[in-house]
Amino acid sequence: MTASLGQILLVAGILFALGVFCAVVRRNLIMIVLGIEIMLNAVSIAFVGAALRWSNLEGQAFVLFILAVAATEVSVGLAMVVYAFRRTGSFDPASFNLLK
Amino acid sequence: MHFSPVLSPLSSALCFTAATLPLAAFLAVFLLTRDRPLLSARLSIGAVAVSFACSATLLALNLNIQGQAEYTVRLLASSGIDIPFGYMIDRLNLLMIVVVSLICLLVQVYSLWYMAEDPGFSRYYAFMSLFAWAMLNLCLSAAILQLYIFWELVGLSSYLLIGFWFEKFSASEAGKKAFVMTRAGDVAFFIGILLLFLHTGNIGIRDLDNPQALAAFPHSFLTLSALLIFGGIVGKSAQFPLLTWLPDAMEGPTPVSALLHSATMVAAGVYLLARLFPFFSMSATALDVVLATGTISMFLSSTMAMVSRDIKRVWAYSTISQLGYMVMALGAGGYFAGVFHLSAHAGFKALLFLCAGVFIHRFETNDVYELAANMANRANRDLTAIVSMIVGVAALSGFPPFSGYFSKEAVMASLARLPNHAWLAAALAGVFLTAYYSFRVIFIILSGGRQPSSGEPQPSSGHSQHDARRPYMAWPLIILSAITLVLGWLEKPIEEFLLGGGAGAALPAGSESAHLTWIPWMATGLGAAGLILAWFEFGRKSSADQRIGFVERVPFLYKLFAERWYIDHFYRLLVNLVVDRGLSYLCWQNDNKVIDAGIDELCEGTVEGGRIASRLQSAMIQYRLLAIFAVMVLLGAWFWWAPG
Repeated sequence: MTASLGQILLVAGILFALGVFCAVVRRNLIMIVLGIEIMLNAVSIAFVGAALRWSNLEGQAFVLFILAVAATEVSVGLAMVVYAFRRTGSFDPASFNLLK
Repeated sequence: MHFSPVLSPLSSALCFTAATLPLAAFLAVFLLTRDRPLLSARLSIGAVAVSFACSATLLALNLNIQGQAEYTVRLLASSGIDIPFGYMIDRLNLLMIVVVSLICLLVQVYSLWYMAEDPGFSRYYAFMSLFAWAMLNLCLSAAILQLYIFWELVGLSSYLLIGFWFEKFSASEAGKKAFVMTRAGDVAFFIGILLLFLHTGNIGIRDLDNPQALAAFPHSFLTLSALLIFGGIVGKSAQFPLLTWLPDAMEGPTPVSALLHSATMVAAGVYLLARLFPFFSMSATALDVVLATGTISMFLSSTMAMVSRDIKRVWAYSTISQLGYMVMALGAGGYFAGVFHLSAHAGFKALLFLCAGVFIHRFETNDVYELAANMANRANRDLTAIVSMIVGVAALSGFPPFSGYFSKEAVMASLARLPNHAWLAAALAGVFLTAYYSFRVIFIILSGGRQPSSGEPQPSSGHSQHDARRPYMAWPLIILSAITLVLGWLEKPIEEFLLGGGAGAALPAGSESAHLTWIPWMATGLGAAGLILAWFEFGRKSSADQRIGFVERVPFLYKLFAERWYIDHFYRLLVNLVVDRGLSYLCWQNDNKVIDAGIDELCEGTVEGGRIASRLQSAMIQYRLLAIFAVMVLLGAWFWWAPG
């Protein structure tokens, strides 16, 4: 038995909403990066579900690209977090207000 | 259409040569020979001499010309508009160009003596050539627009010459005053031209001087355009109320005044009036205004001349009053009288100024009493100049047998034909005043100074170049005196020439001079009365101690006349009120409250807007993230529910 597209999109939507919630609410840079990753994965799930629904591998191919981009994005994002931590000694995004 | 012959090729060539050579001289002097004064003078005098020869030949060739002959090309032609440019000759301007070029020639020759050793010698001759060119072309113009262009050029060159010694503040001020005041009249003139052009579609002088063609237009329109054009004449010929620029124009070199007052600048106005005389006589109202303006100017300037101590100013006031006579004559319908007085006046007024120039140059003062003090020493008297001046003054006062007698008599006769004899009475009173103020100058100068000069003769060693050039000074005076003496006897031939050959057909009846027997006696008698009064007050031996006129005994009148009836004060007040407090105040307010304040407001608005917008900058990553999501959600909702 396979899950229907609607169910898969529901799971992906819930996951995306959780990612948004995480990225917006948590006062921690690492958790923001984490939230963005969760959103990316939610989108990937939606792509895989769509590929299954229409029996078209292009969706899955797209997911491979998303994974690659996500990997680089995490590495860059974490490097920036480390650098920001070195400058301010804090993970709190509110403390990065030098340009204000 | 009335018959209009085309200029013969020979006449066209002569017109072109006469009207263009002075321009060539101007360009050559200005561009090439500025650093060689004598060559510049030769070029300029040569050009104007050839112009004079061409004009005289043209006159001789066309003695029997019928109506107007013209040679025109159509310029500015577009969709039904075409404006002719070219040369037109008829009996009026044939006479005029001969007078103009002759006076220009004599004045330029005289200037060889007067302006010698002036640092601006070349520049002076360049401007003189420009002046002659503009005036000759003004006379030969075939259309009003062309005439207007040269009209302005005449104004420009007189501005340049009045302010010739521009280092002197008063001279540059006088130049500006002349320019601005005549321009005030020219604005009216230009509006008049446009009005005529819009309604008749044709501004050729030949068409305007055709009463049959004009009869189709409403009377009020003709009156309005005639009055507007007369506005230009008032400015140019220094008539009331724009008369105060002319006395101030005395700041220029004396030969310039001679030229300005006789043949070029102020004569242009009267010439235009005579040029468009058939047009003006279509409107009785306009003629009445012309007559009244002439009378007022004549009277006001005569009174001003009675108290002036500056010899050149006395002549300037007399010019205004003589121009007033011409304008009166034309306003009364005396076409011939006006034109004849213009020609006669050109001769004797140039003569008077050139004589005054001799004294002024020698003693370096304009004041009649100081001149008298210098002349008390008989060695200082220049007989040629004194005799010429007496001839000029006699002509100015209208004594026989000088030209002024004949021309003034013609003016009086045309005024006598009017039903209202008040005009004639005013003119006769003017004759008395003219004789009084002009002989006043003569008697003051000749009867010696109150303080006899200390006997030291004027240093003549410093004037070696002037002495060498003395013939250049004397001959123009002698020639002009001779003309003044002879011209009056030529009244009949000139009248027949001017009014004959179809030229009279376009003129209203009564343009010829009328002769009334008692008028010459009356005018001469009044002139003699003025002469005797002047002698009684200024010329008698016993009056040598206190030489003051009857006007000076009435302080109120003296002040009124000396302050020129407060016309300049009135203008100053008007300028203060309208320009300084009115227009410039408005401009100042506009500058402060609209332009400056607008920019200030814009700047403050930008700053304030930036301050408000900067509140959005919270420096908090997550707010922006939230904003992005909110926008995305809204967009999603929009696309989901969007109609269609």
